[in-house]
Amino acid sequence: MRARKQPLHVPHDPPAVHIEDLTVAYHDRPVLWDIDLDIDTGRLAAVVGPNGAGKTTMIRTIMGLLRPLAGHVYLFGRPVAEQRRRIAYVPQRAALDWDFPASVLDVAMMGSYGRLGWFRRPGRRERLQAIDALQQVGLQGFEDRHIGALSGGQQQRVLIARALVQDGDLYLMDEPFQGVDAVTERAIIDVLRRLREEGKTVVVVHHDLQTVPEYFDDVALVNVRLIAAGPVEDVFTDENLRLTYGGRTPYLPSLRPGAPSPESSQ
Amino acid sequence: MIDHTTAVVLAGCVLIGATSGTAGAYALLRRQALLADAVSHAALPGIVLAFLLTGERSFSVLLPGALAAGVTGAVLVQHTVRWTRLEQDGALALVLSVMFGTGIVLLTVAQKAPQASQAGLSSFLFGQAAAMLSGDVVGLFALAALLLFAVAALWKEWKLISFDAEFAASLTLPVTWLDAALMIAIVAAVVVGLQTVGVVLMSALLVAPAAAARQWTSRFGTMMLLSVAFGTLAGLVGVGASNAMEKGPTGPAVVLAASGLVVVSLLFGRERGVVWVRLRRRTKRRGVMAEQLLSALAQIAIQHDDPFEPRERGLIGADQLGAEEYDDLLALLERRGWIRCVDRYHWALTPEGLDAARRLGHQRGSA
Repeated sequence: MRARKQPLHVPHDPPAVHIEDLTVAYHDRPVLWDIDLDIDTGRLAAVVGPNGAGKTTMIRTIMGLLRPLAGHVYLFGRPVAEQRRRIAYVPQRAALDWDFPASVLDVAMMGSYGRLGWFRRPGRRERLQAIDALQQVGLQGFEDRHIGALSGGQQQRVLIARALVQDGDLYLMDEPFQGVDAVTERAIIDVLRRLREEGKTVVVVHHDLQTVPEYFDDVALVNVRLIAAGPVEDVFTDENLRLTYGGRTPYLPSLRPGAPSPESSQ
Repeated sequence: MIDHTTAVVLAGCVLIGATSGTAGAYALLRRQALLADAVSHAALPGIVLAFLLTGERSFSVLLPGALAAGVTGAVLVQHTVRWTRLEQDGALALVLSVMFGTGIVLLTVAQKAPQASQAGLSSFLFGQAAAMLSGDVVGLFALAALLLFAVAALWKEWKLISFDAEFAASLTLPVTWLDAALMIAIVAAVVVGLQTVGVVLMSALLVAPAAAARQWTSRFGTMMLLSVAFGTLAGLVGVGASNAMEKGPTGPAVVLAASGLVVVSLLFGRERGVVWVRLRRRTKRRGVMAEQLLSALAQIAIQHDDPFEPRERGLIGADQLGAEEYDDLLALLERRGWIRCVDRYHWALTPEGLDAARRLGHQRGSA
């Protein structure tokens, strides 16, 4: 991951996500302003920033759900519109209606709906994929439960399992660690590392600053503008965090006195 | 035997009940029950305008007007929410009252018109099942078939956008179109019932079968089937009841039958009916209390050389529990084989009971 001020030459191996001059606005109010960002293939990347910084908007734009005011997003060297099938998505848990009449297995199988195409119902194969994905997040035996009967952490894992069934090359997760128990946190981290081993790219909107260095390779600090982006050890500094959170840093990992000074470009 | 008119009304009401049950399940799950109410009220000006333009009173001529006005109402609500500071509830109230008011004004104008045929136009307010013609039933049948086909064809897509539209979009499904198609299906289901059930009560018929169905199951497919079945049943029972009453009002009777199903389901529905939920909670509470009592009993027992020798009753826990409840819990433990009641005044732990107590203590320790 890197922030760019100067346009790069077209790299040999195109990055998983390439964002250029991106500005996104809701009703004339800019939510993201002139973002330039590359996320390399096979990395675990965190997107960090205060509330209202445009993190979710960034994810939605990468998915091609929002039309930017300016700029563009390329995935694996091609425009988003051509690459959307390679995305697997985990939305915020709180955005969903968990009272909806569906079982855990039903929701996990929804990950296969894109592959199935029109008029085809999920069959035995999709069922097995869903069961396998649920096993990977430690929810075996929960298949027939109603989703409303799960704990918050278990619900989050169902959404991760659904994304695993989707089987993308680029995983976009919106705050998967929000309000989950330790077991779930562990399970999600295991999934993230397994995905990295398989060469997938994972972009996670993340709130818990303390765990950033432990969990992620790269970090992008966002507050409407891109403050800094790059490998965690280079970019995740006091100074950059102060710039991102405007002095109201919830936690300063100053803890590394010798940390290098802020570098917003590589 | 039933005469021709009754047969037509019966067929019509059953079809209206079935389409309401189908579309209503989506409306309820997408939290659009109130939107359906706004749509049915908003359809009135469309009906009257269609009459003023054509001078015809037949439902098949007025239907396109109702459909167009209903869709306009739904779109207006969505755009009001999007572009103004009004929230959903304010937008609904606004659109509903403005369009319904317009409809009433137009109705007054229409009633002053010279044609004789405007008589009965106001029956759209509360519905008039007897106005149904066999041609209408054919139209209803065609619509029900079309709806059934659409639900079958778009089964997983409509289910997914009802649960998680954003995820559906991430799968590259055309969410806007699917959404619009589903909205039109719901509006159509509302509008076809207007002649029979009336503008005022129609949304009740739309939502009631689905709300009743949800009490019995947490499965989408089962809920859909039950919702259709309940809608159909409401049509049958409503027509039967109004016939038995001699000129009883059919539309309201159908709505009442559907509402009756809701009340029964809210109380006795297997999945979330109040009675069952209470009962389950009570059973669970009793189970936990019995387990607690067992651990207390086991604690005493293992302090003695022979844990299985009979001990006096009422040694433990009795201060917190009523005597009756205490007896009840001991009886429960005995049924599970964990203790045996030696006589009226003594109990003894069984080996199984000791095992169970250890297991429970272990679970609690690790939790």
